[in-house]
Amino acid sequence: MNSNVWILTFADAISIATTLILASLGAILTERSGVINLGIEGILLMGAVTAFLVGDGTHNLWLALFLAVLVGMAMATVHAVLTITLRSNQIVSGLALVIFGTGLSQFIGKSVEGKPRPVQITTLDFGPLSDIPIIGPVIFGHDPITYLTWIGAFVASWYLTRTRPGLVLRATGDAPATVDAQGVSVAAVRYAHTIAGGALMGLAGGWFMLARGTAWSQAATTNGIGWIALALVVFAAWRPLRAIVGAVLFGFTLQVPFTLQAQQIRIFPPEILQMLPYVATLAVLVALSTPRARRLLGAPKMLGQPFVRDER
Amino acid sequence: MIIGRTRIELEPRLNSSRWLIVAVPVASVLLALIVGGVFLVLTGHSPIGTYLSLMNNGYTTFYGITDTLGLATPLICTGLAAAFAFRMNLFNIGQEGQMYLGMIGGAWAGIALADHLPMIVAIPVVLGFGALTGALWVLVPALLRAKLGTSEIVSTLLLNYVALNLINYFIFGSRGFFRDPSTSFPQGRSVSVNARFGSFGTTNTYPTLLIAILLAVALWWFIRNSNYGYETSVFADSPNTARYAGMNATRLTLSVLLVSGALAGLGGAMYVVGPAGKIDPGILQIGLGYAGIVVASLARYNFVAVVITAILFAGLRVGGAALQISNNPVPIAIAVVLQGSVLLFALGGEIFRRNRIRIRRVTPVTNSIKVGA
Repeated sequence: MNSNVWILTFADAISIATTLILASLGAILTERSGVINLGIEGILLMGAVTAFLVGDGTHNLWLALFLAVLVGMAMATVHAVLTITLRSNQIVSGLALVIFGTGLSQFIGKSVEGKPRPVQITTLDFGPLSDIPIIGPVIFGHDPITYLTWIGAFVASWYLTRTRPGLVLRATGDAPATVDAQGVSVAAVRYAHTIAGGALMGLAGGWFMLARGTAWSQAATTNGIGWIALALVVFAAWRPLRAIVGAVLFGFTLQVPFTLQAQQIRIFPPEILQMLPYVATLAVLVALSTPRARRLLGAPKMLGQPFVRDER
Repeated sequence: MIIGRTRIELEPRLNSSRWLIVAVPVASVLLALIVGGVFLVLTGHSPIGTYLSLMNNGYTTFYGITDTLGLATPLICTGLAAAFAFRMNLFNIGQEGQMYLGMIGGAWAGIALADHLPMIVAIPVVLGFGALTGALWVLVPALLRAKLGTSEIVSTLLLNYVALNLINYFIFGSRGFFRDPSTSFPQGRSVSVNARFGSFGTTNTYPTLLIAILLAVALWWFIRNSNYGYETSVFADSPNTARYAGMNATRLTLSVLLVSGALAGLGGAMYVVGPAGKIDPGILQIGLGYAGIVVASLARYNFVAVVITAILFAGLRVGGAALQISNNPVPIAIAVVLQGSVLLFALGGEIFRRNRIRIRRVTPVTNSIKVGA
C-alpha cells in the first residue's frame, strides 16, 4: 500500500469534514443558547434532497444550496416554536424532526431516487499549487464551500468570544435568568441562534449532496452523519475551532472504510468496517465521560431547559 | 407574551380535563393529515383519495386489520420500550438497534437450542434470549449514564448503526451461523419449528400480539402498584427528591434502561417466533424502533395507550404499503411523514393541555414616571 493513498484519504477526510463542521457549528450556535436540537439528521436529509431537487430542476448550483439553507431554517423554526414558545420537550421535538425529515426527504425524493446528481460543486483551481505533493491535495484540493466553512469556524469562534452578541449568547445558555434581568429577550436570542444553526445544518446537507453524493438515495445519503456531528459538539467542547479538528478526525473514520475497500484490503469484512465511525464516536464519548473531562468541557449549563420567567 | 394591547398568558392547569386528553391527539392527527395532504398535492396525488385508500387498506378489510395487528405486535414492544425509559426522562432512542439484537439473540436460541426443547419451552426461551440480547445492547450506554452521567441519547442512537451493520454482516457479509446454508441467496437460517408460533388462521396476526398486550397491561399495573414503579415516578418528577428519600439513582437508571432495551429486544424476538422465523433484513426498512418513540410520545408514556397508538400507527404503515401497488403509486414514506407531523403537532398541543390560555387586554406601560421628580 503506498502512502499516496493515505494522503488522498486524508484529503477526503478534510473534504467530508465540511459537512461535519457546518452541522456542528450549527449545533454549537444552537446549544450555546441553551437549546438542544437533535433534529440535525433530519435537517441534513432535507437539505440534501432540496439541493438535489432544485439542482435537478434549475441546474443552478447556488440556488440549490440557498434553498437547502432556507429549508434548514424552516425546520429549525419549527423546533424553535415548539421548544421556545410552546416549551415542549426539546429531545422529543428534535426526534420528531428527524422522523419528519427522514420521511419527507424520502417522499419528495422518490421521483429522483437513484438519479445521478444534477450539478456538482467543483474544486477551486489553484493552478500549480494543487500539484505540490501532499499539501496540494490536502490543502488546495477543495471547493469554495469548504474554505468558507473553515473561515466560518474562525468567525464563529470570534463571535462567541469577542463580540457582545456572542457573550449574550453564551450567557443565555448558562444563565438565562440573568440575561432576562438585563432586559435582553431570552426567547429572541434562542430563536435567532436556533434558526441560524438550522441554516448551517441545511447547508451541510445541501453541500454533502452536491459535493460528495453521487446519486440521490435517502437511505445512503447521510447515514448518521447528523448524529456524529452531535457527538462532535461534545468533543469540541462547544468551541468552533476544536470542531474543525474533531471533524477531520471523524471524517477520517468515515473515509477509512472506503479506502480499505478500494485498496482491496480485507482485514475486516466491509460491514464490520462500516461500524468504525459509529464505534469511534461512541469511544470518544466514553472517553469524554470521566468527571475530569466533563469539568473541562463546560457544556452550557441550561442546555435543554426551557426558560420561564418567574412572574410571581 | 405581549402583542400590542393584548397579553397572552399561560396558566398551568391543575388537572387537565378528559376531553383535552382525547382532543389534543385527535387534532394532531387531523393537522398532520393536512400537512401530509399538502405534500401529496405537490407531488400530484389526491390527498382525499390517498387517505381513503390508506384507511381502507389499513383498517377496514379483514386482512387489512389482521395485517395491521400483526405489524402492531413488535411496534407495541418498541413503543413500550420507549415509554418505559422516556417516562423517567431517560431518552433511549436505540430501540431500532435493540430490536435488531433481539432478533439476533432470538434467532440464535431458535437455531441452537429450540430443537432440543419442547415447543412450550422453546418459544419462551427464544423470546427470553431476544429480551436478553436487547438489554445487553443497551448495557454500555446504560452504565455510562448511570455511573458517569453521559447522555444516553447519542450513545444509544449510534449503536443503531452498529446493529444495522451487524445484521448486514450476518446475512450479506458472511456465510456464518445465521445465514441459510441451503441457498446462495442471502437470507437468514430458519429457526427450529419448535420455536415458531402459527398465525391465527390465514392471517398475519400471531399469538405474540396477545403477549404484547398482556405485557402492556402488566407493566401498567406494575408501575402503578409496585414500590419500584413509585420510585421511578418520583425520580422522573424530581431526581433530587428521589435522592433525598434514599432511592438509589444509579440502580434505577440502570434498571430502567435495561428493561427498555429488553422490551425492544423482545419485539425483535417476536418477529422471529412470528412472521419471520429467522433474521430478516426486511425489517431494517420499516423503522419500527423509531416509530416506537412516536407511539410512546403520543400515548404520553401510558403503557395501555401505547397499545392503541401502536395499532393505529401500524394501520398507517399497512395502508401506506398498499398505496404503492397502484398505477400512480404513493411512496410509503408518506406514512413516516404523517408520523413525524403527528408527533410535532402533539408536542405543540401539550401546552394547551397543560396550560390554560388567558388573553387579557392591557394598557401599555408608558413613560409617565419621572425619575427624581
